[in-house]
Amino acid sequence: MGHLGSDVPMRILAIARNTFRENIRDKILYNLILFALIMILSSIALGQLTLGLESKMIIDLGLTSVSVFGTLIAIFIGISLVYKEMEKRTVYALLAKPVHRWEFIVGKYLGLLFTLLVNVVIMAIGIALTLLYQGGTETATFARLLPAIYLIYLSLALTTALALVFSTFSTPALSALFTLFLWIIGHFNADLLQFANLTKSATVGWVAKSLYYALPNFSNFTTLDSRNIIQSAAHAQAIDAGAILWITAYGLLYCCGLVTVAIAVFSRRDFK
Amino acid sequence: MSTLATASRYRLWVFTAALLLCSASIKPVQDRVTACLARNPSIDPDLLYFASPGAVRSLSLGYQSLLADLYWIRAVQYYGRREEAARRQVRYRNLAALLDITTTLDPRMMDVYRAGSSFLAEPEPIGAGQPEESLKLLDKGIGLYPDEWRLRFDKGFVYFWALKDFKKAGQVWLEASRIRSAPPWMEGLAAMALSRGGAVETARALWERQYQNSASREVKENAKNHLLSMQVDEMLWTIEFLAGKYAERHGGYPANLDDLVRSGYLKAVPVDPSGVAYDYDPRSGRAVLSPETRVRYLEVPYDYREAFLQKLASLFPK
Repeated sequence: MGHLGSDVPMRILAIARNTFRENIRDKILYNLILFALIMILSSIALGQLTLGLESKMIIDLGLTSVSVFGTLIAIFIGISLVYKEMEKRTVYALLAKPVHRWEFIVGKYLGLLFTLLVNVVIMAIGIALTLLYQGGTETATFARLLPAIYLIYLSLALTTALALVFSTFSTPALSALFTLFLWIIGHFNADLLQFANLTKSATVGWVAKSLYYALPNFSNFTTLDSRNIIQSAAHAQAIDAGAILWITAYGLLYCCGLVTVAIAVFSRRDFK
Repeated sequence: MSTLATASRYRLWVFTAALLLCSASIKPVQDRVTACLARNPSIDPDLLYFASPGAVRSLSLGYQSLLADLYWIRAVQYYGRREEAARRQVRYRNLAALLDITTTLDPRMMDVYRAGSSFLAEPEPIGAGQPEESLKLLDKGIGLYPDEWRLRFDKGFVYFWALKDFKKAGQVWLEASRIRSAPPWMEGLAAMALSRGGAVETARALWERQYQNSASREVKENAKNHLLSMQVDEMLWTIEFLAGKYAERHGGYPANLDDLVRSGYLKAVPVDPSGVAYDYDPRSGRAVLSPETRVRYLEVPYDYREAFLQKLASLFPK
């Protein structure tokens, strides 16, 4: 058991590396990247219709593509992360080796996070190249894209963690639905808080407020200082670094919590 | 084995022939569909499925920046497709709503306030003929950008050009001139508008400023057309005036514009800004734009013909 404890990081990394390789071999992944790149390039064509807002169009369409396609990748690969291993029964071979179940889950999660990182970086380079091709973009604008891309990546990490939780106990179709619903609900969290403040019933208010804190707040990653993060990037506006730190803390906490839930569920599963 | 190979080759030929036939038929069939649709052009129902800017913003799931771009493209297309607009019951009923949604989704789109207000304020059929909506849009922008002189410049423009409220226009421009970043000519513009009778000069100065300062191609083009139309009007009045002077001396209007050149009234036969000669009528002594002209003439709403002719008379040697 002592031997099992000392190589934990190596085993997690090995699982993560294999997950990444498996994802890269997945054809859906390539299609999504290609589609996202085509969308970014099409922003040049659409930009012609905006009467002088070409750069804004490229940034808006590019960052939205990063977010939408990243979310699709996070959901559709995240939901099959664990389920596929159980379905193909490869999990038996893996768990027969000296690997803890929690290491398996963490390795899977990190592997998909790395896949998403590669995707986001490729798409970000695509946006930068499109802006360079279009010309007339100041260097500061490229720097302003980074906080938006970072926050999009954090939201993708949260979506992946959600998909991972469902993947441990549900079928891919249901997991996709649950994750998608929570992702949508997570954008309306502010309305829950408003409802809690407006309602006259203390119980309803308490329930609404509890839900506000319990549900993943995806609007944290889209709105900063009451400004939309993609808009701030498109208009090259400065972003509060302190707020980004707090959002990072929120994202890390929530992801850790969800991965813990995934581990707890997966550890209790009976594979006999 | 050989039979199987023959059957397989036969199938390949059949599929290839079917593919070629289908491909060749697409164009004529599509052309027929297009022709049928052109015979009965559909009437645009002109519906706005989401009229509440707040609702659209809530439903955007954090992607309001891209949605704002799409609404802006939609507003530009809605305004720019003039044939489609002419078929609607009300030409530009939803233009103000589209611009309101766009600026609610992304309140920092300065070009939308500027070009959008121009689309709304221009009289029909060029624009929507809704100067009040144009002022609302500009006020929304001014609320967000109180230090942006260009929005007040545009607001004054709407008062001046569309509402003919010169005093109010002058007041708005005076406010704009007090903004630190405002150009020095803003104060002069305000003074011109506030003075009585300066309407034409102010109008010309305004269109020139719009032509020079606007980043929007459509706004620039519109300003150019207005400037050229004023130029055309003044040339036509000049020809009419000179033909009258010719008639006083020779007892009849000149047979053509060359006669005015030969008699020394003009240095050369005048042409319109697109380089096409004017059509001259020797019976009335008046000229009009030729049907071949490439000038997009817009009627100048200020009747300053008499004032212009008087000015010519005062300049013409007795």
